[in-house]
Amino acid sequence: MNDIVAITPEIVVLLTAGAVIVADVTLSRAAARLGLPLIVAVGLLAALYAPNGVALYPSQAALRSTGVFFGGFVQVDAFTNFFRALFIVLALFATLVAPTYLARKQVPAGEYYATLLFSTLGAMTITLATDLITLFVGLELMTIPVYVLAGIQRRDRYSNEAALKYFLLGAFSSALLVYGFAWLFGVTGSTRYSDIANALRTTGLANGPTIVALSLITVGLGFKAAVVPFHQWTPDAYDGAPTPATAFMSVAPKAAAFAAILRVLVDAMGPLAVDWSAVFAALAAITMTAGNVVALVQTNTKRMLAYSSIAHTGYILAAVAAVSAGASSGAAVLFYVFAYGLMNLGAFACLLYLDLEGTRGPTLDELNGFSRREPFGALTFAVFLISLTGIPPTVGFVAKFLVIQPVLDAGYVWLAVVLALNAVLAAFYYLRVVVHMYMYDPESGAPALISSRLLSLSLGVSAFAVVLLGIVPNSLYQWALGAAAPILP
Amino acid sequence: MTIDHVLTLLLVVPAFGLLPLYLYRNDPRATKQVAVVTTLVELVLSLVMLAQFKVGEADFQLVEKAEWLPSLGIRYFVGVDGVSVLLVPMTTLLTFISVLYSSGGAIKERIGSFMAAFLLLEIGMVGVFVSLDLFLFYVMFELMLVPMYLIIGIWGGTRRIYATLKFVIFTLAGSLVMLVAIVAVWLASGPEGSRTLSLPDLIAIRNTFSNEFQFWAFLAFGLAFAIKLPMFPFHTWLPDAHVEAPTAGSIILAGVLLKAGGYGFLRFALPLFPTGTQIWLPVIIVLSVIAILYGAAVSTVQKDLKKLVAYSSVAHMGFVTLGIFVLNPQGAVGAVLQMLNHGFVTGALFLFVGIQYERTHRRVIADLGGLAHHWPLYTTFFGVFVLASLGLPGLNGFVGEFLVILGTFQFGGVPLGGLFWGPLAAIGVILAAVYLLWMFGRVMYGPARDHYKLLPDLSPIEVVCAVPLLLLTVALGVFPQPAIAIIQPSLDRILHLALDPTWQVAVR
Repeated sequence: MNDIVAITPEIVVLLTAGAVIVADVTLSRAAARLGLPLIVAVGLLAALYAPNGVALYPSQAALRSTGVFFGGFVQVDAFTNFFRALFIVLALFATLVAPTYLARKQVPAGEYYATLLFSTLGAMTITLATDLITLFVGLELMTIPVYVLAGIQRRDRYSNEAALKYFLLGAFSSALLVYGFAWLFGVTGSTRYSDIANALRTTGLANGPTIVALSLITVGLGFKAAVVPFHQWTPDAYDGAPTPATAFMSVAPKAAAFAAILRVLVDAMGPLAVDWSAVFAALAAITMTAGNVVALVQTNTKRMLAYSSIAHTGYILAAVAAVSAGASSGAAVLFYVFAYGLMNLGAFACLLYLDLEGTRGPTLDELNGFSRREPFGALTFAVFLISLTGIPPTVGFVAKFLVIQPVLDAGYVWLAVVLALNAVLAAFYYLRVVVHMYMYDPESGAPALISSRLLSLSLGVSAFAVVLLGIVPNSLYQWALGAAAPILP
Repeated sequence: MTIDHVLTLLLVVPAFGLLPLYLYRNDPRATKQVAVVTTLVELVLSLVMLAQFKVGEADFQLVEKAEWLPSLGIRYFVGVDGVSVLLVPMTTLLTFISVLYSSGGAIKERIGSFMAAFLLLEIGMVGVFVSLDLFLFYVMFELMLVPMYLIIGIWGGTRRIYATLKFVIFTLAGSLVMLVAIVAVWLASGPEGSRTLSLPDLIAIRNTFSNEFQFWAFLAFGLAFAIKLPMFPFHTWLPDAHVEAPTAGSIILAGVLLKAGGYGFLRFALPLFPTGTQIWLPVIIVLSVIAILYGAAVSTVQKDLKKLVAYSSVAHMGFVTLGIFVLNPQGAVGAVLQMLNHGFVTGALFLFVGIQYERTHRRVIADLGGLAHHWPLYTTFFGVFVLASLGLPGLNGFVGEFLVILGTFQFGGVPLGGLFWGPLAAIGVILAAVYLLWMFGRVMYGPARDHYKLLPDLSPIEVVCAVPLLLLTVALGVFPQPAIAIIQPSLDRILHLALDPTWQVAVR
């Protein structure tokens, strides 16, 4: 019974997904349009506040059961709860921005919401995992629905291309990952994180099979997180997928991949992590630089944001590389992932104001004068972009500050400087969007605008959160610090 | 009259103006009134703050502290000392004048957003001068960036987008490098759990910073401040930004934003990194003198009135860095006075160039001329500010530059010594007279041109904007002693900290 109680939030999300499918076939089309998002929202909030839920407020801390369940396949701790809350918030956000778009593009809404929830469930499972097998189940449960989401606009050929590319490379990376798991099992004789860690403590890095396992797992998880040079699928997949789906898939799978990286490469393979950190540092530098440089020359905002999300992978990876700094490194990863989730999802969702054919995002010129045509939407977009740049007083700035800290502490001064210079590059293309929105007059033939109260409301709330968490970041930082403690005490 | 928490109030009053600004966003008249009243309240509040300041004390006053990110030792920590206490009223006065002038018809579209940007900018500017925690300082330093970016980019001239992006990218490049250095300082401030970014705490442990650390940290901080100031050769963003910025933006950019750089050197770089200061000092002295001569030489050949004033700022800011880095009391007091004077005088010059441009729509000096025949009032005001800018004794510009040159003559350090650099800096003053008087003659005198005949002289609002600046220009020129008395004790302490790396100061 304890086992079941421990995973109440996941069960609630699963039941919500079931309820959406049932409601989709029973409700009339008019009722479904707002009824389905309502069901999703209620379900996700219930998961957040379930008896053994994530407990965003301290009084519920006592109700939280932490420990190992299901015979050691599942573990619930502060780390799990942090990511559970993040995934629920992101899924809620991605749900609330979608209805108008889905109706307009005639995307089957029930399928969209259900798939989104299944993917969220997979992401939550990843953070529950304390065993390579649970981890793999979670990873697949998360990514397979995302392939579907990418291709859900099935009459659009870019959507098809996105889904196919994402699926082929995703399957390839899963294969690499599972192959790496097999090697790791061969070396250590176990799939349990704690047993792996114990076994590696005696063997160390200096043997061939361990290096093979480590490399394969790094590459596999690097694919999922879009680390350069394993990022090739990202631009086309993000660009071609329906925009609400892009918003979700640019943040949740990436956050989950970093949760997995922390659990497997830092925790389970912890005895090796310090030796491996130089590789991460190099990958981080290459990833942020490549992402930013290519984003610099994009003229389509959606594709630009796709490349910039690669750059953000690099920033997060820099914090991972600084594991030797201890708790501040883990807290930086978690804080950044949370901040990135809010601002990047928001930035993609701002593109939903424009009525464009297919899954295409607006070019920079199509955003000319956006601030006059849609002042509120432009303001939120500007807030997200400024936060992504890392300018105070936004959460993006605090996140950058927190990442630089462990990076310097671990002795990677060069990486901190590369990071700072990259932020300047990023400022150029992020602020160029602001230039087009605010400093050019609207052109004739600019795409029509869609007004959606729900979209404006959810963007307003999250933009407000981005600023508020930038001014008073302490509670989020404390939470991240506590959540990182099980991995990096 | 005493007001508790006056510094915090100074930081929140502009924010309170934002709400009515939003509510009345469709009523240009009301938005103007809201902005003018808010900045006026802020100005009065800053004068109350100045009245509460006890002259003669070196330490920080009106200090307020609160936990912000306690686990990282980051605090909300504000206070003023002699160096900053005069810069705050200068900021609020120039902001009030900018807003008042802009509400007189200079800004025609999106007036509500314009005023909102100004109020946000004011928070950042006041915040920079009162922050005593490096994290808070950085936040405020960057908070100035986005509103100014929008002010130049939306309400600027034809090449505004190039200018504003250049301004942002330059400034951001410097400040992000400084951010890395701030984190490095934080890490060097002690073992985990006792780290801090509070300035007094950092000064107390600065002797633990190794020479190599100070070398790099000073370089990183110095780069950010040098770009902001701007020092030669980082000044190239300035002429573009000034030429394209609307008048109010130019006033604030020259009057306040540039001061953040000079102030940053005095407040943070010198006391925290005394060894770094000694290492980099020769470079900065040389660059300062180059800036003075180069700025003056380039000003002389400018065809564009606004560009001329912009390049003259480069020269004037050269005096600020020169005065700071000769590291003696005369030079440093001169530098702080020069910051204040440049704020009032160059702010006024940009105001008058703007007033003139609004009427004639010409900025190229050759197209102008004979304006004095039609505009007696304008000519009088503009003439006084031009004379103050070139350093005429009896007006404020003279006091600062004179003290800086005096300090430079006493400078005994490498390279070459004060007897070499002092005369060179003095040549800069002579060149200033050349380009400013030549410009004034070409613009104001000469044959009266018919098509300027019908243009009106100063309006009442413009006179209201100019009078306080004129009074301060004369007052600080004739009787600078009260200002020096406020500045001196704190400045002596900063110089002592910079000259003696092992000296410890009792901090609260």
